[in-house]
Amino acid sequence: MADKVDVKICVGTACFVQGGADLLMFNDFLDDELLSKCNIDAANCFEECKKCSVTGEKSPFVTINGKVYGNMTVDKLSKIIREAVNA
Amino acid sequence: MLEINNQYTLFKRQIDTEVLKSFFNGTLEEDVDKLPIKLVPKSKNTSRCCIYKERAMVRYRIMEFLGINIEKDDDEYKPLSEYARAVLNEDPEELPVLTTISAGCYGCPPEQYRISDACRGCFARPCTVNCPKDAIVFIDGKAHIIEEKCIKCGKCYGVCPYHAVLHLPVPCEAACPVGAVHKNEEGVVGIDHDKCISCGKCTMSCPFGAIAERSGIMPVVKMLKRKEKTIAMIAPSIEGQFPGTLSQIKSALLKVGFSKVMEVARGAEVTSVTEAKEVEERIENNEGYMTTSCCPAYMGLINKHLTFLKPIHSTARTPMGYTAEIAQKEFPEYKRIFIGPCLAKRVEGAYTPEVDGVINYSELAALFLALDIDVVTQEKADLGDTSVYKDCRNFAITGGVASCVLCRAENKDKLRTLKIDGLDKKNVMLMRTWAKKPPEVDLVEVMCCEGGCIAGPGTITKPSLAMRMRGRE
Repeated sequence: MADKVDVKICVGTACFVQGGADLLMFNDFLDDELLSKCNIDAANCFEECKKCSVTGEKSPFVTINGKVYGNMTVDKLSKIIREAVNA
Repeated sequence: MLEINNQYTLFKRQIDTEVLKSFFNGTLEEDVDKLPIKLVPKSKNTSRCCIYKERAMVRYRIMEFLGINIEKDDDEYKPLSEYARAVLNEDPEELPVLTTISAGCYGCPPEQYRISDACRGCFARPCTVNCPKDAIVFIDGKAHIIEEKCIKCGKCYGVCPYHAVLHLPVPCEAACPVGAVHKNEEGVVGIDHDKCISCGKCTMSCPFGAIAERSGIMPVVKMLKRKEKTIAMIAPSIEGQFPGTLSQIKSALLKVGFSKVMEVARGAEVTSVTEAKEVEERIENNEGYMTTSCCPAYMGLINKHLTFLKPIHSTARTPMGYTAEIAQKEFPEYKRIFIGPCLAKRVEGAYTPEVDGVINYSELAALFLALDIDVVTQEKADLGDTSVYKDCRNFAITGGVASCVLCRAENKDKLRTLKIDGLDKKNVMLMRTWAKKPPEVDLVEVMCCEGGCIAGPGTITKPSLAMRMRGRE
């Protein structure tokens, strides 16, 4: 079986209070099949918020297999996790 | 009510953070007039009509954050820097806490039930049969509501099998449990402050953010900047509002610049003991039911609308009141700041001499962001010996107050309790009937916010998530 998709959700204060808290309810908005193919964890701040003036991406941030995604919402996260699992 | 995290609340937090950054930089007066443009650059996609309106609204958001009474003191000729200077020199008056922003109000049309073209003109016609006012007629085989006859009971809405009946509410009016929010002659929102109990439900309902809390944060950050001695009194609901544990939140607060942190659960313990004693005395003397008194919006409801409950609610002080009393005794030279989820606590704070300031979690979040303090990576601070009052952290959750009181009663098995979980229009109506027909219980716990304080207007985390995060070591 292929490796599980590694998902990290930032729980730095900036991400958490700007909507990242909602992402932590992943057990509620992802179906069991997707959940079984991912390792989803909360992670300390990966300092992406400090670079937002350069990258234009804002909190909340997540990483999927090490790649950073900003402006994250529940819908967007479901979509990119699904894409990563199916890739 | 709106979801707790939406475009409005998240953008507001961004605005608040920028204001605080400038404040701590010492450049608030020079920055503040540029902030609306900085936050809404030409390139921004806005959901209002244009970026200029959006900038005008940011201007009002900044005014509410500075604590300006927009209803009374809005002067469009006056630059924000002048408002900022005035607030830096002198704290604005605390009450009323709510203010309306007429320019932001959409002017929703009056509440209406309407039949959409999903109506199939069925044979059963439950809408017509169930309408108490014969307000539904059929034209060309489809239902229509006669506006003049409709009393907006919503019966047709509930019975249509095709969901063809549309309900167009006025969110602020619908949310207000006491009829204090109404549109004025110009069709924009107005608050009757004599009726308002400061529950904050309207602020959580308006999708345009046209009703706002005048923040109490400026007096507090001024104290922090002057390095005054301060005690942060944290409400029991704070756990679960930020990533990390309670002891890490305490660390973060000390880093913000508060000199000490005290849990309001400590005062809640005194409230519980007092109420337990009181309720048992009432049973002994056959005086009937007693209600709790810790929810300030409920106290507002009693004082302004349900005055017959005055001799019935507990005479115990609120957890904030007792905590401030303890803090004053132990550390008389410190200023006492309450940090909580509640808008009505601002009113209570204004009338409580031992309390020097009240802010909410959303404002605290902006403070953490402005000062770049990450809660989850803080060392764990020592919370001290919490064994006596640990269970009183449950004051934040529906049912928690009653259970803390019961635990401290002598005959807890004998006590009958009733919970009023959320002061909506229906529950207020129910409580009105108690004047004639008292509930057959001994203790009534009243929470204005459904679910308890963890669902208050100043919170930032969904109650379901907050519940999961509470109690972590």
